[in-house]
Amino acid sequence: MQSNRSYYWLVTLISLPAFLWLVPTLWMLSLSFQPNDVLARTTSSTFFGLIPLPFTLDNYAALFSYGQTPVWFLNSTIVAVGMTLAVLFVSTTAGYALARLSFPGKNFVIIFCLIGLMVPEQAVFIPLYTMFADFGWHNSYHALILPRVAVPIGVFLMMQFFKAIPRDIEEAARLDGVSWLQIFWHVMLPLARPAMTTLAILTFLYAWNDYLWPLVSAQKREMFTITLGLASIQTNFAQSEGLGRIMASGVIATLPVVVLFLLFQRYVVQAMTAGGTKG
Amino acid sequence: MAVYGWSGKRLGQKSSAALLLTPFVVAYLAFLVIPFLNGIWISLHNWNLMAVAFDPNAKEFVGLRNYERILWGKNIVWSPAASPLVQWSAAFVLLSTLLLTAFGKISRGTAVLVGSIALILFVACGFHPGAGGRWYDRRFWPTVGNTILFVALTVPSITIISLSLAVLVNRESRAMAVFRTIFFLSQVLSVTVVTLIWQLLFSPRQGLIANVITLFGGSPIHWLTDERFAMAAIVITTVWWSLGIAMILFLAGLQDISRDIYEAAALDNAKGWRAFRHITLPNLKRTITLVVVLQIILHFQVFGQSHLMTGGGPNDSTQTLVRYIYQTGFRDSELGRATTMAVFLFVIMGAFSLVQFLLGREDKD
Repeated sequence: MQSNRSYYWLVTLISLPAFLWLVPTLWMLSLSFQPNDVLARTTSSTFFGLIPLPFTLDNYAALFSYGQTPVWFLNSTIVAVGMTLAVLFVSTTAGYALARLSFPGKNFVIIFCLIGLMVPEQAVFIPLYTMFADFGWHNSYHALILPRVAVPIGVFLMMQFFKAIPRDIEEAARLDGVSWLQIFWHVMLPLARPAMTTLAILTFLYAWNDYLWPLVSAQKREMFTITLGLASIQTNFAQSEGLGRIMASGVIATLPVVVLFLLFQRYVVQAMTAGGTKG
Repeated sequence: MAVYGWSGKRLGQKSSAALLLTPFVVAYLAFLVIPFLNGIWISLHNWNLMAVAFDPNAKEFVGLRNYERILWGKNIVWSPAASPLVQWSAAFVLLSTLLLTAFGKISRGTAVLVGSIALILFVACGFHPGAGGRWYDRRFWPTVGNTILFVALTVPSITIISLSLAVLVNRESRAMAVFRTIFFLSQVLSVTVVTLIWQLLFSPRQGLIANVITLFGGSPIHWLTDERFAMAAIVITTVWWSLGIAMILFLAGLQDISRDIYEAAALDNAKGWRAFRHITLPNLKRTITLVVVLQIILHFQVFGQSHLMTGGGPNDSTQTLVRYIYQTGFRDSELGRATTMAVFLFVIMGAFSLVQFLLGREDKD
């Protein structure tokens, strides 16, 4: 069984880098379960601190009893869910129109969107800032959501999906006198669930992890997202409320995306590949 | 079908399309197109954030002067040996690309991509202040240089490591699926979680790395405050963070290579390294180019790692373009100059996006 032996060699070979890859995340997790006074002295109590001994849950208890982490977490949830719903709405409607309806100027709209793919967020965040400042919109949920609602990548993802659906489904409905909007709502949307899941995950991850726009838009601490809040407490470890608590915040901030990832791994991979190759 | 009730029964195809497109088009114009054009407009002004906020007329139209103040300087001259290391390596790459293309060793797409990057580096790095001259903005080009250095270190590292990992974990088994999950996992973390972890890992007093080094009798490295190591620290962090997506793209590329080719090659005793060299690499050429371009676009926009881990320091050695834009705009309130740099960023990113788009097109044909 030569091939079997080489397979075990391979597994052993990859185990080392895989373990190394896990160490940073494991370390954060482990430190979050250790008492702050111990961490102030040393971060390598048991096996370089990778095993949470001495063990405590105080850091998590503290997070929920005082401090702003729960508020930030709630803000992130509202922003991420809001942005996801808005992107789904805007992308499915436009994607369907561009994929299945014929109207004058369609190619122009498509090319117009394609150009948008080339504009990075970093190239428009300053004018967006002044615009939102003029409207007095900063420090609000809509200010955190709106700039990412019209993402060309979402429209293209949905457009490509709708294009692949066979024509006859639609034509049968048309013969029955069903309107285009009804076809979209009752026929196309239910079929598009996989593509919508992919797009929803892509958007949720983006919204949850976005840093630059919340940094300029949300100046009040009670409007921070968890990603932004975490940045605000990590700038100086020494003056902070304790290493264990910061790490617990980090774990809490990570939990939703990691759970999402482990539950929907296939979709997450698809989403990030789509987002990567096209946006 | 009347059970559906009213949903635009009388609407024809065109009106339905108009209705369905409206939300997207409105949002797209309002939050992308108009801000983008507005950014160019701002860049033509002397525009102070605070001053204009109090008095909308406090901006002054200055034409292209911001561009001159950022990109140019006093008494700038060009020579082929201004920064010999970069320029001569660029020239070498350019010549090798031409030769390799002439002998048909590399595809035209790759040649154009690599060749133009090398040419631009060769020409751009040749400009320098002559006698008694200086750049108007002393920090801009060094910042661009740092950003390019960051990209030049990060992209090849990620490409090589992720390709090796992809080849190794590309088989159906429980263990390999677990490995794939592990390598991809860090990709879903936010930049602030990543910097939180790595700042502490790199800490000379509390860091895991320092603890391991001390155990072996070494002295801790001041990763984030030592000019020799700060860039390396940020690169390591980024490689750890964003290797997953490259690996997944390579895995997708590997899946497309037919098993039969490998089996046929195995009969000719081409296995292991030889199979990789003569089958895997040639078949993955397009995926590799795509991954490289994608990474260049992604990492040229690096911000969080530099902003949170080193604050652009020490001594500006990890200052990156997006962080400089952010600082100029929101610390110095100089929106005119900040948007000018943003336009510069857009031009570079736009060029690479165009390449990426054309490669994607080629892919489908």
